[in-house]
Amino acid sequence: MLHSLDPRINRLGLPDAPPPPPDKALLDQFETYEVFHQKKEGTAYVYVGPVHAPSADVAFLFAKEQYSRRFPCTGMWVVPTASIQLTGYVGDTESVYDTLPDDRGEVPATAPSEEAQDAAAYAAGEEDYDIFHLKKRGKAHTHVGKVRAATPGQALQIAKAVFGEQRPVVNVWVVRSADVLHSEEEDKDMWATNPEKKYREAMAYRVQDRIERFKQEQQPNAPQA
Amino acid sequence: MYGGGNTFEAPVKADGLENEDPILLAEFEARIARGEKIEPSDWMPALYRKQLIRMIEQHAHSEIIGSLPEGTWITRAPGFRRKMAQMAKVQDEVGHAQLLYSAAETLGKTREQMLSDLINGKSKYSNVFNYPTPTWADSNVISWLIDAGAIVNQLANAKGSYGPYCRALDRICAEEAFHLKYGHDAVTHMATGTPTQRRMMQEALNRWWPAIMTFFGPADKMSTHTEILMRWKVKMATNDDCRQQFLDMYVPKIWELGLTLPDPNLHKNEETGQWEFTEPDWEDFKRVINGDGPCNKERLAVRRAAEENGAWVRRALLSPQAKYVKPLA
Repeated sequence: MLHSLDPRINRLGLPDAPPPPPDKALLDQFETYEVFHQKKEGTAYVYVGPVHAPSADVAFLFAKEQYSRRFPCTGMWVVPTASIQLTGYVGDTESVYDTLPDDRGEVPATAPSEEAQDAAAYAAGEEDYDIFHLKKRGKAHTHVGKVRAATPGQALQIAKAVFGEQRPVVNVWVVRSADVLHSEEEDKDMWATNPEKKYREAMAYRVQDRIERFKQEQQPNAPQA
Repeated sequence: MYGGGNTFEAPVKADGLENEDPILLAEFEARIARGEKIEPSDWMPALYRKQLIRMIEQHAHSEIIGSLPEGTWITRAPGFRRKMAQMAKVQDEVGHAQLLYSAAETLGKTREQMLSDLINGKSKYSNVFNYPTPTWADSNVISWLIDAGAIVNQLANAKGSYGPYCRALDRICAEEAFHLKYGHDAVTHMATGTPTQRRMMQEALNRWWPAIMTFFGPADKMSTHTEILMRWKVKMATNDDCRQQFLDMYVPKIWELGLTLPDPNLHKNEETGQWEFTEPDWEDFKRVINGDGPCNKERLAVRRAAEENGAWVRRALLSPQAKYVKPLA
């Protein structure tokens, strides 16, 4: 039996020389989801990274733990990786919209009323899409707004018409809004736990005071600073 | 934190480059030379991909295995406040492993394969975690000095060329600020405490110093391979540069606590500005990496038990419709 300095490990009774384990099957670690957070009320949602999870609800719990545990957060979105459509990447000074065929989505005219138009469009099968831009390679995708379209491809064309003036745009992600699991306004208090965890902040450790005191004690005859 | 300074090399020849498309290779190198990052869907040479997978994967394994020697002290930490802090730190490290595995996955190796390779002993992790933490003071030495070494390494790598690794490291470095302060505070508490506490800390430091000196790995053989990796901003500083920077920052802080280091040759040469020291025992280092250290078996056995004990939960949760897609960024 394996012997450890830790009694809890000894209690597991682990074998000393087990046969090699079989390789893990694919999906043992589940599917991936991409996570976006809002750092401060009223600011845009920004990409923070992926999590692996068996469902969107569990992905949200993991994401909350992984990405909001240490730093301020006021909201979170979780999206299955498989449902994100993306463009290619261009250089840091370019716009990826310039590489799209110039088939401008019809910019909606303002007649009759916007609500009536929206209602007609949704009835015809159009949906909302969330658009994210990457401004610089190595940085994070940021939410720029929503568009309404019948397909992700059309959503990208409309995004070009609506957000195409912004530069640079290195890469665009298009997400059907219905695929986004987002935190609810009424659950906002779940983000308020960080102030209770001061021991997680570098500020909580005033080690220099103790060192100075120690040095003083070591040299009782030294002139007072 | 624990990001293991040294990447253990399988013997890789710098060849294969002649098989790469010269136009794509030139564009790739020009992008890096301009200071732009590489993103997952960009074309990249096979050697770049292979080396990054190895490096990020080892870093991830180091986080997950590195949390074991400190984790073992959570239940016996002196006092509630330290228990909470130790737990928070260990949780951070496991979180870092998650971030790093995801970054490596964007290069095409699945998380399942990485975890299998760890448990099978095919992949390496930072060698320092093959040593035990017999006392609370040993755990404090890891919290302060191994973390400090890892931060030197991680800050350098955060300026590297691969986007997903940079994003992960930016987040990791931000979280580490607390670890370093926590570790320094814990060591200082012991070193400025009662004679017994002081002795305990000095003994722990004596035990860990040889391992700390090997943390960044042996001096780089400056090969074509190394040159290419530096040009591609995969390797950002030589092992020796990192070691010198670490000694410069931390030896004075150790000495100021009235602690000594068990190397009579350790001093800074004021003329060259370089630290001189007794060359670490690299033969012993090799022996331990290859499996013959005091804790190699235990580390992998504990990791393996955790995987096996959780398997039924993962099986129960897996949806039959699930389909793997690698993370995007």
